[in-house]
Amino acid sequence: MSLSTSLNTAISSLATTAEQTSVLSRNVARAGDTTASRKNAEVVTIPGYGVRLASVTRVVNTALFNNVLVSTSTAAGQDAIVASLEKLQQSLSDPELDASPAAMLQKLSDAIQRLSAAPDSLATAQSAVAAGRDMARTLNEATSLVQKVRAEADADIAGSVDTLNTLLSRFESVNAEIVKGTRTGADVTDYEDQRDQIIMQISEEVGVKTITRSDNSMAIYTDSGVTLFDTTPRTISFQQTGSYAAGTTGNAVYADGVPITGPSATMSVGSGRIAGLAEVRDNIAVTYQSQLDEIARGLITAFSESDQSAVPSLADATGLFTWSGSPAVPPAGTIVAGLAGQISINALVDPDQGGDATLLRDGGINGAAYLYNTEGTAAFSDRINDQLDKLNGTQSFDATTKLSSSATLFGLASASAGWLSETRTSANEEAEYRYTLLDRSSEALNKVTGINLDEEMTLMLELERTYQASSKLISTVNQMLDTLLAAAG
Amino acid sequence: MKTTFISTSALSAATRQSLMKVQQELADAQKEALTERFADVGMQLGYRTGQSISLRQDHTRLKTMIETNSTVSSRLKTTQATLQNLVDTGQDFSKQLLALRMGGSNALGAQTDATSRLDGFLDIMNMSFGSGYLFAGVNSDVKPLTDYFATPPSTSKQSVDNAFFAQFGFSQSDPAVSTISAADMETFLDTTFADVFEDPSWSANWSSASSDNMRSRISNSELIETSTNANESPFRKLAMAYTMVADLGTSDLGQPAYEALVDKAITVVNEAIQQIGDQQSKLGVAEQRVSDASDRMSLQIDILTTQITSLEGVDPNEAATRVNQLLTQIETSYALTARIMGLSILNYL
Repeated sequence: MSLSTSLNTAISSLATTAEQTSVLSRNVARAGDTTASRKNAEVVTIPGYGVRLASVTRVVNTALFNNVLVSTSTAAGQDAIVASLEKLQQSLSDPELDASPAAMLQKLSDAIQRLSAAPDSLATAQSAVAAGRDMARTLNEATSLVQKVRAEADADIAGSVDTLNTLLSRFESVNAEIVKGTRTGADVTDYEDQRDQIIMQISEEVGVKTITRSDNSMAIYTDSGVTLFDTTPRTISFQQTGSYAAGTTGNAVYADGVPITGPSATMSVGSGRIAGLAEVRDNIAVTYQSQLDEIARGLITAFSESDQSAVPSLADATGLFTWSGSPAVPPAGTIVAGLAGQISINALVDPDQGGDATLLRDGGINGAAYLYNTEGTAAFSDRINDQLDKLNGTQSFDATTKLSSSATLFGLASASAGWLSETRTSANEEAEYRYTLLDRSSEALNKVTGINLDEEMTLMLELERTYQASSKLISTVNQMLDTLLAAAG
Repeated sequence: MKTTFISTSALSAATRQSLMKVQQELADAQKEALTERFADVGMQLGYRTGQSISLRQDHTRLKTMIETNSTVSSRLKTTQATLQNLVDTGQDFSKQLLALRMGGSNALGAQTDATSRLDGFLDIMNMSFGSGYLFAGVNSDVKPLTDYFATPPSTSKQSVDNAFFAQFGFSQSDPAVSTISAADMETFLDTTFADVFEDPSWSANWSSASSDNMRSRISNSELIETSTNANESPFRKLAMAYTMVADLGTSDLGQPAYEALVDKAITVVNEAIQQIGDQQSKLGVAEQRVSDASDRMSLQIDILTTQITSLEGVDPNEAATRVNQLLTQIETSYALTARIMGLSILNYL
């Protein structure tokens, strides 16, 4: 051992302390970043030389990180569903405002009831027709709203797929840096942080699973097992559908050529924004549209006219409400896709289109055979009461509504409102739960891998002391060498 | 080896996140305290939103029905008052005829009186109500009875003239009417003249009213007749009695024929009055049913209102307490955040 060895050791200590300080300042700089992980400078002692910075490691917790990934994707999926349901809710608004299809139906029934009390009043007949027009308009508007929500979901899926492709190509370059750095023993911790952040963003779009290989490279699969990235990124493709009508089926999203959404998918993704949007586009909005269509069909049926001849031979024909298939009445119990968008007031009854509102009282919209008021009396109320009875009667409805298959029209309309609100409430509760879970797991991860300023500061005090002591050592060795040289004269 | 660790950002994020949640709740609680309803009814009720909507449907349906019932009952009331008027004038007429049975110069008085009464009777029967005629049955847009005294002579006047001529071979204004015997007069009144007020002559010459009465739905399940019409027997009888005295050459009749005529008229008027009583009681029953139905529906509306409130309503006291509690919570959170932010080792280095 010699003085020069001591000097070398002190110098190595100075260099190492400087490097440790640099790691510490990196930590301090990113203290506010919730995704940043804490870096540790690993110092090794080299016999006969002193100390050296061996490597920089970061604090990781794979279990907690995976938890965060899962909660992120489920929360993002539920969030997409809730946002779309909130748009659909516009068609109901607050029950107090009486703007839902169910409330409009009641207004129509009220107007007919008023007409039954004053069948000879033209004004009352006209206001009943106006109520019918409002009813048809409400259904038309609700249909275009539902289809708009579907088109928006479709466009959002396209956006999501773009984001996913961009993220995957960024992931590729970061991953390559990590593999290269690991091979040469460079500090790759910042790249690893970046890679984690990209995976977190990917998991917002689609639920993922990750596997880390021995060379520190990473492969990403969807939660259903389709490869998104393995050495190279896989192409996610999606053909956007421009406009939606009832009955339009949206395209599936393909990852690596395998469908991951829609009915054709055997490996469909269970979470993430794409899954949530597909659920809205392909299920929730479609079911709600079916309910609207069945309300429209029920209305057309309730107001249809039947042959009044002594020996009826003609089929029932549409009355106040018409559709593209008029004068035929749509078959009972079977859905006609998009009917709620087509339903309109018969021009022959609508005073605004030159029609005669009293046909609502007399019948005969489809010709003399269908005339109920054969004597032409002004206070004839049988047809009006007949329509009221049919409106209040039980009809059978298609199973695609997911509601009771046999109900009154009022029952169907209010059950539909109930269904939408319930879907919204449960989706919202689920989203809230998922967000809480995400908050908790992010917090747990951040607690473990994040940076504590106080700790870094105390560490800095230590480093400062080491630096001072090493400097003191150098100056002391210097004095000793001076003394030696002076003695040697 | 560290046993516990927490990062600085986790420490500050914890209060921030809970603060946002509490502020959101505060906004909802404030709205609920003001409106006394849930801030987001659909979200709060879920599938019970359907129930709430169907309660509101029932609520408006009952309200509409009570409203239409009030139209129906005012029609019934007007009809009742009119019928009473007919009874009163009918009784007057019969009293007067008794007094004027002596004949001679009285006969002219009786004829003039009956003429004006027939006119009044037709006026009453042609009374309009709302957008239609009260006694027209379902054919409410057509005046039910033809005006007897119109020029050119009305179909009703012609039918009487024709009947008279067919029986006696001369018209009412012919001086020969004084030759009509009491027996001939009685036969005429019971057969040819009575036929004028029976179908097919009545509906062809006198009345355009429909024999079908208006039917109104007064509650979910009750559909009842709520009018009467000019074709009912008492109205034909009144028309017959008034015409009999007014337009059968009464003032020129011989005493026996005159007495036979007056006797017949008194009988017919009295029969008519009795039958109007039947009509009145029939309409009275309808009136009672309408008002019963409305009362029942008002009760139902009260119950529905309570149900809607209990579904959608929020106790304002509870909401106000919640607002206070949340405010306290937010204040605590602010104070804590400030303290935590102040907590740094830097202050001591």
